[in-house]
Amino acid sequence: MYAFEIERPTSLSDAVSALKAEGAQALGGGQTLIPSLKARLAMPEVLVSLSAIDEIKGICTDDEGRICIGGGTPHGRVAAELKDSYPALASLAARIGDPAVRNRGTIGGSLANNDPSACWPAAALASDAVIKTDRREIAADDFFAGLFETVLEEGEIVTEVRFPVPQAANYQKFAQPASRFALVGVFVAKYEAGVRVAVTGASESGVFRWTEAEEKLSSDFSAAALEGLSHAAEGMIGDLHGTPAYRAHLIGVLTKRAVAAAG
Amino acid sequence: MTLIGTGVRRKEDLRLLRGQGDYADDIHLPDATWAVFARAPYAHARLVSIDVSAAREMPGVVAVLTGADLQAAGIGAIPHVVGSSLTGADIALKNRDGSERARTDHPPLILDRSRFAGEPFAAVIADSVAAAKDAAELIEAEWEELPAVTSALAALEDGAPQLWDHVPGNLALEAEIGDEAATDAALAGAAHRVVFDSQINRVTGVHMEPRSSAAWVEEDGRVTVRCSGGTGVVQMRESIAQTLGLPVERVRIVAPGDVGGNFGTRNATYPEFVVIAHAARQTGRPVKHLVERSEAFSTDYQARDLHVRVELGMDEDGTFLALKAVNTSNIGAHTASYVPLNKGIQLMTGLYRVPVAHATARAVLTNTPPTIPYRSAGRPEAMYAIERLVDLAARECGFDPIELRRRNMIPREAFPYTNPFGITYDSGDHIAAMDRALELADHAGLPARREKARARGKRLGFGFANYIEGTGGIPRERAEVTVIPGERRVEVVLGTQDTGQGHRTAFAQLVADWLGLEVDEVTIRTGDTDVVLAGGGSHSGRSLRFGSIVMDEASRGVIARARAVFAALNGAEAGDVEFSDGYLRLADSNVVTHLFDLAGAAEASDDLPEDLRGPIAAVGDKVTAGLAFPYGAAVCELEIDPDTGAYEIVRYTSVDDVGRALNPMILHGQTHGGIAQGVGQALFEGYAFDEMGQNVTGSLMDYQLPRAGDFPMFTTDLSEVPATSHPMGFRPGGEGGTTPALATCTNAVADALAEYGVRHLEMPVTPLRIWQAIEESRG
Repeated sequence: MYAFEIERPTSLSDAVSALKAEGAQALGGGQTLIPSLKARLAMPEVLVSLSAIDEIKGICTDDEGRICIGGGTPHGRVAAELKDSYPALASLAARIGDPAVRNRGTIGGSLANNDPSACWPAAALASDAVIKTDRREIAADDFFAGLFETVLEEGEIVTEVRFPVPQAANYQKFAQPASRFALVGVFVAKYEAGVRVAVTGASESGVFRWTEAEEKLSSDFSAAALEGLSHAAEGMIGDLHGTPAYRAHLIGVLTKRAVAAAG
Repeated sequence: MTLIGTGVRRKEDLRLLRGQGDYADDIHLPDATWAVFARAPYAHARLVSIDVSAAREMPGVVAVLTGADLQAAGIGAIPHVVGSSLTGADIALKNRDGSERARTDHPPLILDRSRFAGEPFAAVIADSVAAAKDAAELIEAEWEELPAVTSALAALEDGAPQLWDHVPGNLALEAEIGDEAATDAALAGAAHRVVFDSQINRVTGVHMEPRSSAAWVEEDGRVTVRCSGGTGVVQMRESIAQTLGLPVERVRIVAPGDVGGNFGTRNATYPEFVVIAHAARQTGRPVKHLVERSEAFSTDYQARDLHVRVELGMDEDGTFLALKAVNTSNIGAHTASYVPLNKGIQLMTGLYRVPVAHATARAVLTNTPPTIPYRSAGRPEAMYAIERLVDLAARECGFDPIELRRRNMIPREAFPYTNPFGITYDSGDHIAAMDRALELADHAGLPARREKARARGKRLGFGFANYIEGTGGIPRERAEVTVIPGERRVEVVLGTQDTGQGHRTAFAQLVADWLGLEVDEVTIRTGDTDVVLAGGGSHSGRSLRFGSIVMDEASRGVIARARAVFAALNGAEAGDVEFSDGYLRLADSNVVTHLFDLAGAAEASDDLPEDLRGPIAAVGDKVTAGLAFPYGAAVCELEIDPDTGAYEIVRYTSVDDVGRALNPMILHGQTHGGIAQGVGQALFEGYAFDEMGQNVTGSLMDYQLPRAGDFPMFTTDLSEVPATSHPMGFRPGGEGGTTPALATCTNAVADALAEYGVRHLEMPVTPLRIWQAIEESRG
């Protein structure tokens, strides 16, 4: 770690102004940033911790029935509190990392980081979520911009994520055996307007929607509807733990399983 | 009630669970400095120039050392124990022309050439880790990169990069054992011949406590190094003193009270130990060092990495006729150890009767971290080769794998049995262990479980393996048993080094049993060259095996001396004194004294003759020759999801013969850990390099360590057929979980995938590999 200053604002507005300083960097739960700092891969001058800002923590339901999760809410709370209202989200959160990770890591931090193997981007994209920041609202379809890239601007803070509650949903995660991140993760959510299928872990461009599957499932929400449909290996990640062909194959298997489990 | 054979709760646990462990880094040293090492970025490169001037100028920097600085200070190469064909209890390995194995110089900081990525080339000593790191980044080194080779087979090819001028072709040793002509003839006449060719994956130890050390100069000028390793403090002192160019009296080694994992990969001297010792002497200030996890991944000594090619010949009935093997060990960039190669090659026939055999043992230098012994050095590899081969032979030649084993196993009455390489197994009932393991694993219920799994869309695999070990280790051990009346305890000073095995409990059980004391009244003291005068540490299953012999001798000495003292104080003859349950009694009288009270009375008495004055204490010091032969059998049962290649281990059973169980609870715990480590190698762990020799599994994000959730509850059982090679019947325990596990897991996978026509999958058998094999079979 290189030396840095740390600030712990207690209000969103203080955090926003603190982040305007030269060399300032937001620190959420720190599950990615702290290891990067320890490996001397990042050199911020000032870390602005978001963990003392109560107004971006917690879970509620808005007037439209959407589940609103504060950007600073740790995964563990989602796992504990959404078991009844959006079980697929709770189940996703419960499978991130280990208890220590779930008690520190936040939904806002995960979305802002957009790790191509993270789980939250799949949930947000499949749920057609709205990502609210200190300055605007962004539809999930517009939010993700490739590996570790989003449309967030310098110093922009994810304050809340709003999830429309689907009629049925399920998240299937095939864990990379060492890291237990998603080697491939598929989130399927069925809404009145149609079915959305989001895939994480697999693509060289980060989380994406499998539109061919969505079309089939929107007319027939059953695993059988996916028979004969497979995802191309092209553009999929190839590494020690999975070839592009393996990941493409897993997308098909996991999507069917998600549909079957969602009922 | 005897304490031997009782599952006494570990004295260690409460302290460890409360976070009160005494690990290497848990020491506060006033005015301490910290060392950070600059490491070679290339696996193979010439160090053209090095400029540390900017680093030396940094605030907080106390010293910057290079290889040249160390050389100028008279510091030499680390004297790794490479053995020879003339020493040790293992089969003699020497080159065909009669010459000995190669030895390469391993300087603590490289002088002119890096031979694996991560070798240290400079050290910064500073007031803080951060200051040392900042300075280390300013060290300017110019490198001329050379082609690298990381695979042993590739390193043997013509035109391969050459690591050492005096080792042509990178071949550090090529030895043959057995009878080649007879083996070839028997194979030529065999009705069945089966070949198995496999690369056993490289793994690394991943100690939970990364290696750490500290060094300081005592008031008397000696340098103390606080570090630990499984060869014990006496050997570490010799090694570090020799490297420093100092007489051993000028060096003290103190091992921390606790060690967070060893498994063998701490058992060779690490360059950092020597560098900080020198730095402490040069600067006059204490120096601490702690490797970070990523540093440990790239620079710890590593393990396994053996290529095997084995061929078995059988007659029409499946009787084994001959075995031929070529084992090629990747020993890494330096000759740190030949032990794994040696230990494995001599057991390539496992516990089967094979009339003739021939084996070639090759050790090859490559641009990788050196490999050294790791949990059951060499034996898991050998058992993997023979047990996979037997399974393949059964499948390919139409025999039942269990019955084929039974037909060829060495029966109880055939012991002592000398295998075709000349190793004599002492005793055992191997067939009984196999049958017990099959019974516990419900082999009879296998067909029904297979069908149930299939109904759930899974493919069940049942993998069985036998195993035998030939353990040895440093053969001298020494125990000093002293009665300390003021504290009402007995202290045992021993040359072993506990790295989690529970010696404080188990060894106290032994001595307490012999002296008629409570377990808590006996304390074990190890790990300080100021009190430990001889002994060999803990490796190769040697601690109880050798420790029990010398503790027994010393305990008998204590009793004899106590009798003499008691007799002298009571005006009697020693022959009239009885000793039992900790009490000394004069025959036919009411004169009774407890050992502690006697020792107190002796201390206070002025009446004792000269030769009986001083503490009641005795020494046992012995060299025990030969090998020991733990054995057993294990079963892995797993279910594979053919759609994804994912698997779940659903049952794991292990039966281990330890000759005689001192503390069964500790043994079961050791077996559990051993299973996790063996299964880890078979299914999870694989240390890999890219073509430039950089590791691609340099963190826990890519190197899959076993986790508790990966396993079912284990079924472990102990067999106790007393070892005829040990006066108390003990066989080493603790490695038995690991030794057969490579074979049980890979046999299980092959069994599950047999219907797809899959012959064999290489380790680690990952879901990816399984899925790819199934896909290939489907065309």
